[in-house]
Amino acid sequence: MTEITHHAYLFDAVRCIACRACMVACSTENNIEMDKTRIWQSGVGVKGEFPILQRATMVYHCMHCNHPDCLSACPVGAYSKRPDGPVEYDPKKCIGCRYCMNACPFGVPHFDYDKGLIEGAFIDKCTFCPQRIDVGQEPACVATCPTDALEYGDRDELLKIAHARIAAHPERYLDHVYGEFENGGTSYLILSHVPFSELGLPDLPETPVNEVSEDVMALTIPFALSWGAVLSAVAAGVQIANRRSAAKAKVTEPIEAKPEEQTK
Amino acid sequence: MKMNLTFHPRFRLPLLAWILLALMGAAFVIAMVRYAVGIGAISDLSNAYPWGWWISFDLFTGVAISSGGFLMAGLVYILGVEKYRPLLRPSVLTAFLGYIMVAVALLVDLGQPQRIWYMMIYWNHTSVLLEIGICVMSYLLVLAIEFAPVVFEGLRWKKLAHFFHKFVMPFVILGVVLSTLHQSSLGSLLLIQPTKLHPLWWTAILPIIFFVSAVAIGLAMILVESSLSSRYFKRGLEIHLLEKVAKAIPIVLATYLLLKFGELAWAGDLGYLFTSGVMSVLFWAEILLGVVLPLIWFSFKRMRQSPKALLAGAILLLLGMILNRFNVSWFAVKHSDPLTYVPTFMSNVTYIPTLPEVFLSLGIFSAGILAFGLAAKYLPVFEDEHSQAHAPGGD
Repeated sequence: MTEITHHAYLFDAVRCIACRACMVACSTENNIEMDKTRIWQSGVGVKGEFPILQRATMVYHCMHCNHPDCLSACPVGAYSKRPDGPVEYDPKKCIGCRYCMNACPFGVPHFDYDKGLIEGAFIDKCTFCPQRIDVGQEPACVATCPTDALEYGDRDELLKIAHARIAAHPERYLDHVYGEFENGGTSYLILSHVPFSELGLPDLPETPVNEVSEDVMALTIPFALSWGAVLSAVAAGVQIANRRSAAKAKVTEPIEAKPEEQTK
Repeated sequence: MKMNLTFHPRFRLPLLAWILLALMGAAFVIAMVRYAVGIGAISDLSNAYPWGWWISFDLFTGVAISSGGFLMAGLVYILGVEKYRPLLRPSVLTAFLGYIMVAVALLVDLGQPQRIWYMMIYWNHTSVLLEIGICVMSYLLVLAIEFAPVVFEGLRWKKLAHFFHKFVMPFVILGVVLSTLHQSSLGSLLLIQPTKLHPLWWTAILPIIFFVSAVAIGLAMILVESSLSSRYFKRGLEIHLLEKVAKAIPIVLATYLLLKFGELAWAGDLGYLFTSGVMSVLFWAEILLGVVLPLIWFSFKRMRQSPKALLAGAILLLLGMILNRFNVSWFAVKHSDPLTYVPTFMSNVTYIPTLPEVFLSLGIFSAGILAFGLAAKYLPVFEDEHSQAHAPGGD
């Protein structure tokens, strides 16, 4: 394997046999509770008419976006993006607001709804197995996949492999690698023989969904300062105008000023 | 031996206070259960619906209906329109209590409420929620400073009251800036969901639309709270002032309509107005109730001069605008399709708020009403000593 500068997955829905071994491997590797999981699967069921039948399964990981929306949304910066791909989550900073879950267009982060204050309710999601990839191993799900439906490697290499596979079998694959450009590019690339929407994947533009939000946020401080300056100027102007008219009133009617002094 | 069997209770509370106290007690128990065994035990929130009733009602509605405070403070202090001073203190009190209620509700909704102060040390500058958190926390402090003279006057600590009164101006300006920021940022909170929020509501100018509607809501709240408190506390209604407040409402609402439909036309989303089924119905319901009807209603002088019509029109506006907040933060947000997206632990793909969720909000609301009642009774909320014998802009 060549030197990996940008860790990525390639998932091939044609090869997946829905055995769920990746889910088991992930939970074992990362010590996930029995009733929870970081990877999940869904199928579109059997489609078509006998004898031409077709089914497809999708394996959902964190997409490890190039411009992560969870990271953009998190108020306390519990998320971080490693320069070599993985999106990491730090439970030590998390306040449990669940804004990341709203922000993620893929609905990846999930939350401990069954934990009280003492146990602590946190977000969980795929971590890209840093304990494995940092020592040159494949992530647990990839290592265990029996049909090579899940592959791991450098993002550019995997993209080449994906496009080569489409070119070799154009009758088998849709001519599109999901995640190459979606949401600004993701580190989880998907090949499929059924429309991606049927796999439950959202139809996303090439600009990351956090773009408008971040543009507006960048205006906050300049706006706050200029709005504060305008208000201060108005307040000062009104005060000066009022004081002038009050001074005029004092000259003409000096008796009226007296009760006011007393209230002070 | 003859016994006196007549029972004299020490504290005689009106029935309303008992009901409010009971609701508060229920909310306390619900909150304790949530802290012990988790949010899932008392709510229907799930991984598919991470935000629900608490966000729509307590945060979005709570912040919106507390906007009267900054409007009145800005009008009286910054623009120096002294004649509105009688409306200032009740508005600031409503805002202060409103924001405390928002904060308390969020302490239940947050997964790690004990870490709320992390927002002050860990800053992610791209997060809209961080801006809202910081603005709301700072604004609570500003409101406390704005309301402090009332408390000190009530305690007859004249010097302290005067001290706070004297230095209130910079805090009023800060309060207006903070309010402008977070009232609009509640709209910005949804900007990150262009693929989830229905196009009838998602627009890049959501923050502006939210601010304009917050102004309308604040004006309506001033009408409602003056009307209700004049009835309950049997004091006179400042109808000559309220009429002017009501006169501003059609202008604000017309601006809102122009922005809303102008944006829809510009974005080419006008087609959704009639083709989106339930979403179209919800949209028209909020526009008719909250914008079109009150706009017409308050355009008539006869309506603005009748206390009953003022209250009715304001309630109409509030109902429509609260529906708008629910639409934006809940009803119009598309969640994962249950047919293709059913992870085993995520099987809960519908969301209906549970009774404990609603009762928690009711309990917090009850505490707010009780606090308003107590403040109105024991503090000089409705009699501002600066309101009569005072030259405009003196302080």
